[in-house]
Amino acid sequence: MSWFFKSKQIQLSILVFFFLVGFVPYFFKMPPVEDFANNLTRIAAVVGNFTIVIAVYSQWRRSLRFIREKRKGWAYHIYLLILMSMMIIIGFTLGEHHTAYKWLVSTIVTPLSSVFYGILAFYMSSACARAFRARSPKAAFLIIAGCIVLLYQAPLTGAFLPGIEPYSLFLTDNLGMALSRMFAIAIVTGAIILNMRMLLGRELAFLGFAREES
Amino acid sequence: MAKPLLEIPIIPTGRFIGLVLLVILAILAIRQMRAKKMPFIRRVAALDAIDDAVGRCTEMGRPVVVSYGIGDFSYSVIAALSILGYVAKICAETDTRLIVPTGGGHSSYVVRETAVDIVRSQYILAGKPETFREEDMPFLSGEQYAYTSGYTGILIRERPGATIMTGSHASEAVNIAEQSNLVGAITITSGTYVSNMAALACASDYIMLMDEQPAAGAYLSKNVDQIATIRVQDIYKALAMVLIVVGLVLMTVFKSDLILRLLDT
Amino acid sequence: MVEKKVSLLQWMATYDQRWVYLILFLVVLGPMVSPIGMPISVSASTRNWYEKVTALKKGDIVLDSWSTEYSGYMELKPGLLATHRMLINKGVKLFVCLGHPEGFAVANVVFEEELKSYMDKHNYKYGVDYIILGYVFPNVASTIAAVTNFQDAVKTDWKGVSIKGTFLDRIKTGADITMIVDFTTGAGNPGLIDHIVLRFGTPMIQNPIGVSLPGALANLDAKLLQAVLASARGGAELEYLIREPGPGLIMMDAFSLGHYMVIIFIIIGNIGYFGWTKRERARERTTIR
Repeated sequence: MSWFFKSKQIQLSILVFFFLVGFVPYFFKMPPVEDFANNLTRIAAVVGNFTIVIAVYSQWRRSLRFIREKRKGWAYHIYLLILMSMMIIIGFTLGEHHTAYKWLVSTIVTPLSSVFYGILAFYMSSACARAFRARSPKAAFLIIAGCIVLLYQAPLTGAFLPGIEPYSLFLTDNLGMALSRMFAIAIVTGAIILNMRMLLGRELAFLGFAREES
Repeated sequence: MAKPLLEIPIIPTGRFIGLVLLVILAILAIRQMRAKKMPFIRRVAALDAIDDAVGRCTEMGRPVVVSYGIGDFSYSVIAALSILGYVAKICAETDTRLIVPTGGGHSSYVVRETAVDIVRSQYILAGKPETFREEDMPFLSGEQYAYTSGYTGILIRERPGATIMTGSHASEAVNIAEQSNLVGAITITSGTYVSNMAALACASDYIMLMDEQPAAGAYLSKNVDQIATIRVQDIYKALAMVLIVVGLVLMTVFKSDLILRLLDT
Repeated sequence: MVEKKVSLLQWMATYDQRWVYLILFLVVLGPMVSPIGMPISVSASTRNWYEKVTALKKGDIVLDSWSTEYSGYMELKPGLLATHRMLINKGVKLFVCLGHPEGFAVANVVFEEELKSYMDKHNYKYGVDYIILGYVFPNVASTIAAVTNFQDAVKTDWKGVSIKGTFLDRIKTGADITMIVDFTTGAGNPGLIDHIVLRFGTPMIQNPIGVSLPGALANLDAKLLQAVLASARGGAELEYLIREPGPGLIMMDAFSLGHYMVIIFIIIGNIGYFGWTKRERARERTTIR
């Protein structure tokens, strides 16, 4: 039976079949097929979320190994396991609207994720300070344009330097928007070609086949 | 939306031209795949740097950290898995330690299983299955910032020689790229979203922009037929440029919305 | 051993990045602790947002989409709170759809803490004027199901209470929604534009975070969005417009100074580059070994 799951041809056939299930109703009016495709997507999303069970098991296994072998940072793994277990038990027994769960989320999870989001500002600033060097005329133009937009973005600038607005808006509404559209076109083109290679069996890494195996 | 040029009963409005373009693309791709001669493709610095980066890690005795993103199976994650397989092959052959932090998204565990399979396969094909360590592919978390903190912790503790961060990374990409810089690793990233591309370009040593990442699998394979498909991307971009210019001229000079109506067919 | 003295230009070229973190931290912390009250200007995009929200009428049903977790909420907070104050003032009916599992923490904070007194003042009640449906749009397929046949797809709110008998009985398809107001950290629900705006012509306005702004502006230019509020700065301008000072205006002093600091660091780095790094490299190339 394992030959069935290991067969490249069968996996590709399944891939092509489900591709057509999604592709065809998008371009041709077929309500029953479209409903089937939408239901499939929702089922896949639900099934995908159940893999969290495997993730929890994997984390327990890894953390217990760290603790047993007293590797660097093993104490943090104890904290992780305790917190993870508390949230799972409280979430399942009392529900996510219970005060205890809300307290855990608001005192631990939300401040931590906010801090990591806030750190971005420092990292972006240091990246800009390090990377923006006028090594060439093009780089110099980029820096000047960037500084104009940065100046405009600061609300105080508009109050004492209103004349900067048209230049900054020109840069963001013309050059910036052209870039984001160009980006979208290039990305989508690349994605379509990649998908074409997948359907034709030339890109098999995602099916778990190494290049030599294929 | 402009009034379409044609109303076709069985095709929803605005999708016919898309179907035509996709069919043309499929035909072009298949024709290109029959190419016998290696087409000219410009160097993609970031992809060429992967070999040098892994070589540097081997010489210094430091690990390579590779990640494929936080999303579920999208085109960028699939492209990143190709890169992961390529790096795993080199690491298996050169006995360089490979660390792959996984997680970050709600469906990321599904992708992890594929990533583990890919890396394990490369070690088996290199004849060194015993050197594969699944614990070097830890599932950090299903939440973006918890994953980020675990990832940066790995970078600080393990001090890799290279960080190859491809696939779909959102705002955590800048965190990770800067931290990688701070520990002195070569940082190779890819810009999947226009929102983090600029910051990643500042923070990374090498960056794959736009369609360079989807082309990575083909580029690294060095197969004639796969590299030929990269030409189709360029043909399509040229077609888009022509449509934009023609549409611009028609709308500005002739006040005609023909191209808009054509695209809305 | 004699330590070589580091010149000012060399320091400007090679300073430790931690100086950037420290100085930026102090520059941002100062105005947050002791606000300066710097003036701000209101941009055209914020005025456009203000007009779109003001044009809503009492009883209109608005899909309030929050595709943000708590960290993104910190940046969207000014615009989110100011807009909701306007919506509550107008007496608009809201149904809140969360696009992220962590969004329920945001909903708790917004409706049970931040806006509670404002809602009490305007007699804005849960179940009558607003309903939180929870994480109902995890993907595009769910969005399609909801906007095609809302009554079949969504039956309860986020606490499992039936929504029958509420204003949501009026929603049969996406065409019954008056407007979509989307607060997103960029990983938003593409189904809103693809399957509601394009399909039913429902107007949509969006408040993205700063880094997602270029994409949102492209959608605005393509008339897929009617208005865009530019992250925290737009939120602060909106607070100023509606005369309801809040977290946005408090942030703006630090916001402005932080931007100026980045420009100053770029200038310092370039002075160091031209004054020291380039010369050092030229010297290394010409040195006879």
